[in-house]
Amino acid sequence: MIPVPSPPLYSTRPEWADVVPIPQYEKANPLAPILYSEEYKDATDYLRAVVKSGEKSERVLQLTEHVIRLNPAHYSAWQYRYETVVAIQWPLETEIALMDELADKYLKTYQVWHHRRLILTLSKEAREELAFVAKILQQDEKNYHTWAHRQWILAFYNDDALWAGELDFVDTMMNKDVRNNSVWHHRFFVVFQSGVREGEENRERVVRRELIYTKQNISLAPNNASAWNYLRGVLEFTKLPLSTVATFVTPYTVPLPENLGDIVDVENPPPGKGAELPCVAAIEFQADIYEEEAQSESIEEAVRLWKSLAEEHDTIRKKYWEYRIQQALLRT
Amino acid sequence: MTSTTMRRTPIDSFPTSTSSTQAETEKILLDHLPKDNKAAPTLQTQAHMQFLIRNLVQGFPARYTSQDASQPWLLYWTLEAFSVLQVGLDPGNRQKAVDTIMAWQHPDGGFGGGPHQAAHLLPTYAAVCALAIVGKPGEGGGWDQIDRKKMYNFFMSLKQPDGSFFVAHHSEVDVRGIYCLLVTATLLDIITPELVEGTSAFVASLQTYEGGFSSASQPYYAPSTSPNGPSALLESPRPPLGEAHGGYTFCALASWVMLLPYLPSPAPKINKMSLLRWLVQMQGSPVELGGFKGRTNKLVDGCYSWWVGGAFALLESIGINPSAIPAPSADKQEGKDDDWSDIDDSLLNRKALQEYILFAGQHPAGGLRDKPPKNADSYHTLSCLAGLSSAQHKVFPSPTRRKALLDSWKSTGNSTNEELRKAYVRRRALLHRGNGHRDHRRRPVEPSERNAPSVQPNNYAHGGNDDVLLWASRASANRQMNS
Repeated sequence: MIPVPSPPLYSTRPEWADVVPIPQYEKANPLAPILYSEEYKDATDYLRAVVKSGEKSERVLQLTEHVIRLNPAHYSAWQYRYETVVAIQWPLETEIALMDELADKYLKTYQVWHHRRLILTLSKEAREELAFVAKILQQDEKNYHTWAHRQWILAFYNDDALWAGELDFVDTMMNKDVRNNSVWHHRFFVVFQSGVREGEENRERVVRRELIYTKQNISLAPNNASAWNYLRGVLEFTKLPLSTVATFVTPYTVPLPENLGDIVDVENPPPGKGAELPCVAAIEFQADIYEEEAQSESIEEAVRLWKSLAEEHDTIRKKYWEYRIQQALLRT
Repeated sequence: MTSTTMRRTPIDSFPTSTSSTQAETEKILLDHLPKDNKAAPTLQTQAHMQFLIRNLVQGFPARYTSQDASQPWLLYWTLEAFSVLQVGLDPGNRQKAVDTIMAWQHPDGGFGGGPHQAAHLLPTYAAVCALAIVGKPGEGGGWDQIDRKKMYNFFMSLKQPDGSFFVAHHSEVDVRGIYCLLVTATLLDIITPELVEGTSAFVASLQTYEGGFSSASQPYYAPSTSPNGPSALLESPRPPLGEAHGGYTFCALASWVMLLPYLPSPAPKINKMSLLRWLVQMQGSPVELGGFKGRTNKLVDGCYSWWVGGAFALLESIGINPSAIPAPSADKQEGKDDDWSDIDDSLLNRKALQEYILFAGQHPAGGLRDKPPKNADSYHTLSCLAGLSSAQHKVFPSPTRRKALLDSWKSTGNSTNEELRKAYVRRRALLHRGNGHRDHRRRPVEPSERNAPSVQPNNYAHGGNDDVLLWASRASANRQMNS
């Protein structure tokens, strides 16, 4: 690999001769210093100087970009860059083009996403944004900032045109990896937590659709905590009892039968041939259904299931299952 | 536990990228489980000390440039790790630490990530907590040189209409910032009802359908009725941005606990049982050595030993308290009545978490880490050590210490705050009643009264005498696991 040559130091450039660099520590040697490269030390010495003098210019944009490329988490450089963009009325589309590149490179830093948000808030130009986010998600499908950014775009612009393709997008991502919890969370954000969107007015139909969607995904890969959490989330949000899905849950709490048969039941899809059963999440769900009934026989059933989790199926959480038993018995 | 009895996470004959990375990780983790069952896991205290001392004295290698805007964190992680290992700094380095920290204070209030950097809530927390460890009252001690008035004004300048705070000017809203602000304001005794108005409702809005909390939520506003009038914050929709996450959940829960005395009426609510369920679900199975993950279907990581494992210690403050119920007789261990080992009222699997940290979290060359084969770093060193500590001890002030702290309280003359403080003390007294049968069986440990009302930092000293020892650990050299 051919090494990339470092740019000349600011301290050697005539066009920066009017600026007096400021060292980081004026007094004593600090405890636990970072052993910076010469390039980084030089660039930040000049950054401190321009922040102090208050200069806002195109060369400050170059300097902040340089520091950001060396350390994308340098929030003060981002902050000063934003103030400069505003002060010199820098073309926002130029800034977004640079951000496209930097978000791609440094997608794990808070600042690349927040700066993007600030610029979009100024430009009010969000049409390309969802496609951009989809592209970035391809390289890291669970990136927290990228998903949060997508949700912010949808909520902040609150524009039906932007929302229109969102469930299809969820499906595309879900088909790639049904265990991606970020996708399940995004689905909940879209369907339940952002008000009622166009075409989603019939809530009864929406809830039925969501329950079937989740059950089908559970039947595909039963040991998927994300899908079970979503199922619980839908029922809790819509104030439906857990027993709404009791018929569906039961087959997942026992070993897989030898003869599966050819049952086609859209409401209650059975576990697939490769399912590894019994499924811990299903036993937990079943126990919660029993607890919800709150009859003394049903509590006994719940306790029996919690004991099986504590002693056999989910021993790591023994203390928790015992706590659930204590709590349930205390109430009866 | 032995590797032969451990069940791999089921794939249901339906592999995806999540199940593939999970399977790879399980294989690596299993390789770190000693073949010989009898080998007692050991904390390599000396190696970790060397790692920390090297960073502190020689400096951090150039790859830490990515932490240049987090210099207070680098120092805090190091100093707090010393505290967890029960080590104090010598007077020379202690003064040097104070001088370094004070170079980060911003002229307009708060602390920045380094000298001349903008003030930001996260480094402000790290700097003030680092001062709580090494600072002193009086000239040059650091603590009295914190400009509390400017700090308060800085906090107020970040406040948003929905009760949240920017982490810095022109920066994002994030519950980590709220946690940092509340800890700092508590330590400096500058919390006011005005400062935290609306904040508890914001924190509550971060809880997702899974039970854990996200980083932020998005407010919706009703259009203003007059052309230039203010728009009204709507109670709903207020969707969380991002899924439930270990770090944010810790910050949200700890913030909630600190906000309890300031809850408005009617009070916003959080779902405690779904929070508890989410926390316990984050503990990995035996095949993951019982480490914690930070999100559903993600990999275990040593840092969540603290963010999730440490969060269990906060549950008592929101009324989840298993020790208040008599334990079932099957749970009693026979023939052991020593101060520590027979009591385990926590809802996480403490033994398994310790095993993850000791078998997988320790780097052979010193320092602790996310998981093998990763390198150690300062952040993971502290979060693993803090997680290990909270998995071994339940620490609270002894009645004598508690009384001494309350007696040392000096009223600021602000009657509202004084009333709130009294209400808080009463509330805590109520919470602690009924646990008495447990309190006397546990050995109280003095040096961790971090949430006590405003006291000078030297009251946090590690059992007194903390100026004396130069890099000498008061802990036994190799601490054995407490199971």
